[in-house]
Amino acid sequence: MGVVAAGSHRHRRRQIIGWALFAVVVALIPFLIADTYSPTILGNRYTVGLGNLSQSVGLMVAILGLNIATGYSGQLSLGHSFFVGSGAYLTAVLVNEFHWSYLSTLGVVVPGLFVFGVLFGLPALRIQGLYLGLLTFAVAAVFPSIIRLDEVADRTGGSNGLLIDSDLEAPAWAPLDTVTGWLHAVPGVGSRVPDGLTGRQEEAVYKYFLLVIMALVCFWLVRNIVAGRVGRALVAIRDNPLGAAASGVDLAAYKTLSFGISAAVGGVAGTMLAMHSGFVGPDEFGFSMAILLIAGLIVGGSGTLHGAVAGGLAIQFVPHWSSQTQTLPGTDVALEGPYGTAILGGLLIAIIFALPGGAAHWFRRTKARLMPVAPQPPGS
Amino acid sequence: MPVLASVLGVFDITLDKLGDGELWLAQFFRGLSDGATYASVALALVMIYKSTGFINFAQGSLALLGVYLAYVFSVEQGLPVAVAVVCAMAASAAVAMFVERVLIRPFPPNHALPLVIVTLGLLLIIDSAVGIVWGFRTRSLPSMFPSGAPIEWGIAQLTWRTIGNLGTVFAVVGLLYLLLARTKTGLAFRAVSSNLESARLVGIRVGPTLGFGWALAAAIGTLGGALVVPDLLLEPSIMLRVLIFSLAAAALGGLDSLVGAVVGGLAVGLARNLLVTFLDLSELALATAVAVILVVLLVRPTGLFGSARVERV
Amino acid sequence: MNAVDESARRESTAVGTAYLEVRGLKAAYGDINVLHGIDFSVAEGQIAVILGANGAGKTTTLRALCAMVSTEGSIKLDGEELAGHSTADIVRRGVAHVPQGRGTFPELSVEENLLAGAFVRADNEVRADIERWYETFGVLGERRTQAAGSLSGGEQQMLAIARALMLRPSLLLLDEPSLGLAPMITRTLFEQLSAVNAAAGTTMLVVEQNAILALGAADVAYVLEAGAVALSGPASALADDDGVRRAYLGY
Repeated sequence: MGVVAAGSHRHRRRQIIGWALFAVVVALIPFLIADTYSPTILGNRYTVGLGNLSQSVGLMVAILGLNIATGYSGQLSLGHSFFVGSGAYLTAVLVNEFHWSYLSTLGVVVPGLFVFGVLFGLPALRIQGLYLGLLTFAVAAVFPSIIRLDEVADRTGGSNGLLIDSDLEAPAWAPLDTVTGWLHAVPGVGSRVPDGLTGRQEEAVYKYFLLVIMALVCFWLVRNIVAGRVGRALVAIRDNPLGAAASGVDLAAYKTLSFGISAAVGGVAGTMLAMHSGFVGPDEFGFSMAILLIAGLIVGGSGTLHGAVAGGLAIQFVPHWSSQTQTLPGTDVALEGPYGTAILGGLLIAIIFALPGGAAHWFRRTKARLMPVAPQPPGS
Repeated sequence: MPVLASVLGVFDITLDKLGDGELWLAQFFRGLSDGATYASVALALVMIYKSTGFINFAQGSLALLGVYLAYVFSVEQGLPVAVAVVCAMAASAAVAMFVERVLIRPFPPNHALPLVIVTLGLLLIIDSAVGIVWGFRTRSLPSMFPSGAPIEWGIAQLTWRTIGNLGTVFAVVGLLYLLLARTKTGLAFRAVSSNLESARLVGIRVGPTLGFGWALAAAIGTLGGALVVPDLLLEPSIMLRVLIFSLAAAALGGLDSLVGAVVGGLAVGLARNLLVTFLDLSELALATAVAVILVVLLVRPTGLFGSARVERV
Repeated sequence: MNAVDESARRESTAVGTAYLEVRGLKAAYGDINVLHGIDFSVAEGQIAVILGANGAGKTTTLRALCAMVSTEGSIKLDGEELAGHSTADIVRRGVAHVPQGRGTFPELSVEENLLAGAFVRADNEVRADIERWYETFGVLGERRTQAAGSLSGGEQQMLAIARALMLRPSLLLLDEPSLGLAPMITRTLFEQLSAVNAAAGTTMLVVEQNAILALGAADVAYVLEAGAVALSGPASALADDDGVRRAYLGY
């Protein structure tokens, strides 16, 4: 393909084709793997279900939230799991005790966590850099013990966690079964699609679409924020706080705002994870999650939207894949157990060494090489 | 209102404990013992922060590895515990030197952020490696010190272990002070901490000096772990809590002060044991650590003994 | 007696041969080239001064000599190649560098700074040298236990120079020693440097903004412009050169 001018008709067409392809893939996947998908990777059968993908979508949104405070505005937050966990528990309690629907809990989760994030951001105005990392690291570790406090344990379920007594059944109007039937009839692709969905499969497909739509809304909102005035201010604060202040950016306001948005998005991710599993447990949202989210952010690419997607896939599927790898070819090493976390740790260090911009940076460079776009000449 | 009532209820239960002198003393001793262990790991954190200006989040993991090695040397190989601990200190120092050489030194020493991320990656790797090698079954490591208590007042016992823990920490600080203040290696270490460029210009080999700092820090951290573990059981996540308390101790004392690490460690140990007992909130132990960090960083970011220093991030 | 040793050593090399010989020196910070291949030389026991506008590459030249920046080209000290060696090795060959601004260890005491300056020495005269510099820079002797960071700017500059001299360098690199100092102190400082040069025969390469003072003290001078040597010659000749006078001396 030749060089295409930015904003030209051909460039727009190519963008539209790209997005359409993306939409088709995202929409087809659930039908293709509703029945689980088992490719063979490195000589091991790897079984992946739609649920794994849904969970990964939730993690993408969690990383997206972290990206705002850390990736875009450069405040080292090692405690993002606290926000995600708070969102998840808020949803679980509201659903269980007040019989709200999952989606309506967002009406409390989003503003509640925004306010919480702003409050959290206030001390962060004085505490910067490493010190903020230190504080947030400790905050992340303390979340499980707060959930286990005797005073709240009858609400939160304490160490046992909380089963959420509401199922996400596909509503009658959703033609998931019908669509499956159509796809099954399509020659070629059809052979991979079942000719109908069982109740459980239908629920999984419905959840997947619900979570994907929520994620798309989050990404779209965050994209608008970071591409606009607020985003420019945040990046300016990250790259040169003094210069930003001298140009009239209100550091305090924007820093707290970034924590507010970051926490709100993290809360939505928590709601999504609760929707996905129907269960919340204290240790899920401990400091291991906090570090995994940082790992996802860095591996995917800090300060980019694509990075959150790549990072969410990485922190979900690297450990999941490794937990099923019984032997590595040529060795008798089984990757089951905690190898996944070790691999992620290695990946994190490798990325810092070899690819400081993360996967998103690599993706962008490769794309620029394969499909070059010339910037629009001035005055045209 | 029920919240208020339950808060008052908590104080009701605990007020009568306040008059119990023996309980105070017992918790005081326990606090000193815990504090000594936090102080050791805090010393290790301070060593790294002093010389390189960043926090090694993998410090607890290096200590974890060291303690498991001490377990292997003592319980599995049958060495006396004290000898096993010394061997484990040497082994973890070697691991730390290797890590410093391979993963830390390639980065410019004045950019803290990538280094912090590397230590987080290291934390993931070491913690899971320990789980892979030794599994998640709990084990027990005997203490280096005899059991029993030479001094008792009712339930309050000043055990040999408490005395040993405190003695060890003070000995470590004393030796560290002599090493840093009186030897050429110590002078090199302090020169590198103070001004990297000038250190190069007087002919100090900066890399090996920092590697030495890492080795020393890992050895001290391992010793701290060996002091903690006999009170708890050995399992792969044990050092995480210790790390949080030690971070609080280091922050309280001032991240670049060795004396501060010890004072901070003892203070956090005491605060944790006294507050938690008399407020009856055992789950809030970690939260006390977080509160300490928060208050210190807000009120006095240099801690009690730290020097003002330009943040390098 | 130190001075006697030094002068004896000086006589063994023919006067006027280049002690420091730099050929085709290039230096870059990342992708930005600062020096584009400069040549210069300094004879043993001479004081050479580098003049030039801001950004001409003066500081970079000194940093390049100590491998504090990535370089290409040849740097010969007394016939031995320095290029390719680490800073620590170059210091071991007797090159001391007083960087611009803070060249001290602020958290260490004055005395520890001087001890650190002698880090690579293994002889037993370190103590005697410390006392000697306490005599030369009287104020340092009064503050020997004080943290270097608590000294005034001028005192710190003296400490940085004394710290460098503790190496017993054969080549001393000074980067704007007068920066931020009062004119009186600057004059004293240059007198002391000249005295050291006369007594110990230490070869010196000085980057200096105060061109009048520097040319007065120096034997040879080089003018750098945009990373290349634009002019060179005996200091006295350059002081009389109209172009140099207009550009750097201001009369």
